[in-house]
Amino acid sequence: MTEMSVESVDPDDVDAADILGSAIERREDPALLTGDAEYTDDIQLPQMTHMAVKRSQHAHATIEGIDTSAAEAMDDVVAVYTAEDIDVPGNLPTGWLLDTLNQVDHPILADDRVRYQGDAIAVVIAEERYAAHDAVDAIDVDCERLEAVTSPREALDTAPDLHDDAPGNTAFEWEIGDAEKTSAAFESASHTASIDLENQLIIPNAMEPRAAVADYNPSTEELEVAMTTQNPHLHRLLMSGVIDHPEHKLQIRAPDVGGGFGSKIHHYADEALAAWTAKQVERPVKWVATRTETYLTDAQGRGHETHGEIAMDDDGTIVGLKVETEANLGAYLSTFAPAVPTYLYGTLLSGQYDIPAIHCEVTGAFTNVPPVDAYRGAGRPEASYVVERLIHLAAKKMEMDPAEFRRQNFVPDDAFPYETQVAVAYDSGEYEKTLDRALEMLDYEDFRERQREAREEGRYLGVGFSAYIEACGLAPSELAGQLGAQAGLWESSLVRFQPSGTVTAYCGTSGHGQGHDTTYAQIVANELGIDYEDVDVVEGDTDEIPQGMGTYGSRSAAVGGSALVKSSQKVVEKARSIAAHQLEASEADIDFENGEFHVTGAPDRSMHITEVAEQAYLAHNMPDETEPGLEATSFYDPDNFVFPFGMHAAIVEIDPDTGEIEFERYVAVDDVGNQINPKIVEGQIHGGVAQGIGQALYEAAEYDENGQLLTGSMQDYAVPKAEHIPEMETDSTVTPSPHNPLGVKGVGEAGTIAAPQAVVNAVVDALEPFGVDHIDMPLKDEKVWRAIHENGGEN
Amino acid sequence: MAEHEITLTVNGTDHELTVESRELLVHALREELGYTGLNVGCESTMCGACTVHLDGDAVKSCTVLAAQADGQEVTTVEGLAEGGEFHPIQEGFQEEHGLQCGYCTPGMMMTATQLLEENPDPNDEEIRDALEGNLCRCTGYQNIVNAVENAAEKMGASTQGDD
Amino acid sequence: MEFEGTFTIEEVSTEEVWLALSDPFLIKQCLPGCQFLTRVEDPDDVDFEALGEQEPDEDPPTLPEAAPEDISDRAFEEGGHYAALMQIGVGSVKPTFRTVVTIDEREFPAMNASGEGSATDSSFEMSSGMTLVETDGGVDIEWEAEADVFGKIAQMGQRVISPVANRVVSRFFGSVEDRLTEVAKEDDSEGLRDRVRNLL
Ligand code: FES
Ligand code: FES
Repeated sequence: MTEMSVESVDPDDVDAADILGSAIERREDPALLTGDAEYTDDIQLPQMTHMAVKRSQHAHATIEGIDTSAAEAMDDVVAVYTAEDIDVPGNLPTGWLLDTLNQVDHPILADDRVRYQGDAIAVVIAEERYAAHDAVDAIDVDCERLEAVTSPREALDTAPDLHDDAPGNTAFEWEIGDAEKTSAAFESASHTASIDLENQLIIPNAMEPRAAVADYNPSTEELEVAMTTQNPHLHRLLMSGVIDHPEHKLQIRAPDVGGGFGSKIHHYADEALAAWTAKQVERPVKWVATRTETYLTDAQGRGHETHGEIAMDDDGTIVGLKVETEANLGAYLSTFAPAVPTYLYGTLLSGQYDIPAIHCEVTGAFTNVPPVDAYRGAGRPEASYVVERLIHLAAKKMEMDPAEFRRQNFVPDDAFPYETQVAVAYDSGEYEKTLDRALEMLDYEDFRERQREAREEGRYLGVGFSAYIEACGLAPSELAGQLGAQAGLWESSLVRFQPSGTVTAYCGTSGHGQGHDTTYAQIVANELGIDYEDVDVVEGDTDEIPQGMGTYGSRSAAVGGSALVKSSQKVVEKARSIAAHQLEASEADIDFENGEFHVTGAPDRSMHITEVAEQAYLAHNMPDETEPGLEATSFYDPDNFVFPFGMHAAIVEIDPDTGEIEFERYVAVDDVGNQINPKIVEGQIHGGVAQGIGQALYEAAEYDENGQLLTGSMQDYAVPKAEHIPEMETDSTVTPSPHNPLGVKGVGEAGTIAAPQAVVNAVVDALEPFGVDHIDMPLKDEKVWRAIHENGGEN
Repeated sequence: MAEHEITLTVNGTDHELTVESRELLVHALREELGYTGLNVGCESTMCGACTVHLDGDAVKSCTVLAAQADGQEVTTVEGLAEGGEFHPIQEGFQEEHGLQCGYCTPGMMMTATQLLEENPDPNDEEIRDALEGNLCRCTGYQNIVNAVENAAEKMGASTQGDD
Repeated sequence: MEFEGTFTIEEVSTEEVWLALSDPFLIKQCLPGCQFLTRVEDPDDVDFEALGEQEPDEDPPTLPEAAPEDISDRAFEEGGHYAALMQIGVGSVKPTFRTVVTIDEREFPAMNASGEGSATDSSFEMSSGMTLVETDGGVDIEWEAEADVFGKIAQMGQRVISPVANRVVSRFFGSVEDRLTEVAKEDDSEGLRDRVRNLL
């Protein structure tokens, strides 16, 4: 166990007044530890059928004919459907529009053409899971194969068009920043550095595959869909359009969800097909993706090809930054795809630095890979990677220490709120603090000494820094709308007292491993001054929760948590007026502390909020015009994003004979604002870092020249194992966000954003004697070895 | 397709059931018998989410045919706690925040309990080695390792107490 | 994916090897998992079920028994199309490929063919070439193939496919070698050689 690791505590041992901010054990764990949890595939309904999907084996082909007769004739097959049978719009929409966006059709079953390996062609409904898959195998699809392309650059340059509505495979062209100012800055600069890099496609690999169980009641027309979702309300809205079912008769429920990392935000064909077929056969339908299907169809992440340049003046002050990116969007536009490589990317290109001129151009390209969309970090890791790789090269160019080069260029503490050149205003930050803490933990001076000595012995150590910034809780809705969002980005909550003094708190976010039940109960208990155990939290069900936008973009604490604060405060205000009435004092004279209302200066004249709740439901003695009951709903729309930041650093050693990378240290100092539950925060950092290290060293979706996925199983795609992830040493600083009542900033994606460049910078630092400036991720041994030897060994 | 009448003893309870030749043990346990605590993450021996004890050994139940397990004793995650008391491994996972979404957790715990039986005081590396066949996408493994160490301490303390 | 190799058969002549590799029946018998191999007219319209049913219960004699003239009569022809049903075990799956091959070029001692095959959730496209080279002790069969694979088997990747391809090829040439060794054993092999030479 690391010294730095947070110790968790039993909630029973925590005073009510201290509940917010304490590292209590999670209340969701007992069910998950005993098998009592209910994931989607655990659901069994009477008369339930099973759906399986016939998918394209080609990445690009025209469909000449589909013969389903053999499948239909099989025992246990209830029905087989192809595009011809779809009698609803059946077109998956995009939730984010850009001015230049070429929108293309995305049918839930391909009719005349398939555009990626895994594109759905037909579905089978059968009595039983195995029978459904057997029948899928019996469907004969006659295809004419077309040329396929998987690189965005090639798609834009040479490949045949995928869509009639997107000439040259261009999905959009987008820019941010000031081109002229940036060119001028480069012209007058004394030094520049540049990089060409690829940020490879990543397959999310939530451990629970996507799944849905749909149940339709023809008499009431109610359609209930339990599914793996990070945002049930959003899925309800989208699905109601796709399958033309009235929104108020559609219930989307998230049972326990086994991880998402972005992949369960989006609206896919399969879940819509399960819902639509349930209406057709009037029996419950279950669909569960096989792992192969998740590899073929889960929206992937990243997929950038980028050229970046940075310019400095004489003394190493950054004067400009420019970036050109071709972003892979895959075969169709997934739910938030247009936002990820644009507003979630370009706006973060100032990093932690005061950069006076920035310009960024992004071209989105259609290719024959599955749709690409948000994956943990979504745009921000790509931005942070470019910036921190350039910073590393810039420091080298200036012959400056990389830590000191960063320090010199940080946005200074007194400059907040800080307006960047790429349209965002950072809320708060103290960047030197995290840097200093990281240097102290690393024993940096000493490390550089060791590094020198080691090199003399032919051992290659390196340190890599990553000064990352993240933007979470995209807001406010008005701004999001101007940028193209087809949804608001507020969050809703309902806080309701029961007459006996217990509380149920409903929130429109939808956790899937983040421990919301625990943290939200901490928030609400603290606001209401009641026992943590007396607060129950409900999420993930459109029938129970007023409205919601869901969990992604590290928004839940900042936006969902704040919505709960707001509702709680409304409850307290109503309770105050009832208490004032019953205590025969004026509202202004009623103080509220630790759950107790009392008359100012007369602590004896008091009422606990739970007594007020009882009175509110008895309604025997209420102030005039006050309705009975004690509950409140609110929609919280933040004023701005929040900007967590931190410094991650890795120390690695490389064996020049094999290219093998070994971690000596991994240090993470994060500032995520106030922490509601430090143990959960630590867990989020750990998991995020592991995914970032996965991208840096192991993971990549690889395709052959025909668009066939070569890494289509856990055997070929290296999801990191326990032995691959080093011990992480974590610490934090706290700079509260001024933008929300909790002062929180968001932590879900920080580690994933920070880690890749910390690792790559460390490797490149270690290989400096070999003249290696850059290696594209994943840094597999063989690639590292080649980089060493291509440069002819040490120079 | 040929069918087989088999008997499985799951967490001490005998069950008789009929399975198809090709039916996997994981599906028989989950779908025929309702032991949904074990999960399916890959159906291909890679993720470990489906790990159970079969006659005392941790095995991935997606690689065993139900018919092959005829007559054997199966322990699933549902069988870890006894008389409402958590097994030390469950306590360890809870106290060390060794789980997030929980999908890998039942399998992790089944593998870990086998490790602790063979090696009551494993070090960090031995734990990571033992968990080689169990993937977790959420935790970054550090708190899982801590959870196993925590359980080892508890179990060590309790056996010492018995001396 | 690209494959290539050289298979050496001792104590035979190029002509004998050529003759053996001209015979669709012998190829069928030597190719592991091949259920039939029949000439078809229209490569785009092949009824595999009908072909399977038409398949005679017993093949005519092949080497070493067959007369070279008979083989020559039924030998592959340049421009000809051939349909085959092939079952190949790849990892845990055993897809049956409906395959159509076209002989693109055939001129002693070299032959090129291309084709494609499809199974339930996998398919392939390939082109291949072969040249016979006379050596001191026998014949080198130099072969190469380029294949694109799609679907389930593609996903298994080169890791799985290369050994399968190697296994199929070496079993195939191994069986061809067995036949030719028997031919060599039969005494009048000189006579056979001449008869083959005359046919070419
Ligand atoms: S489901 Fe058995 S190992 Fe993954
Ligand atoms: S806790 Fe989610 S996969 Fe391990």
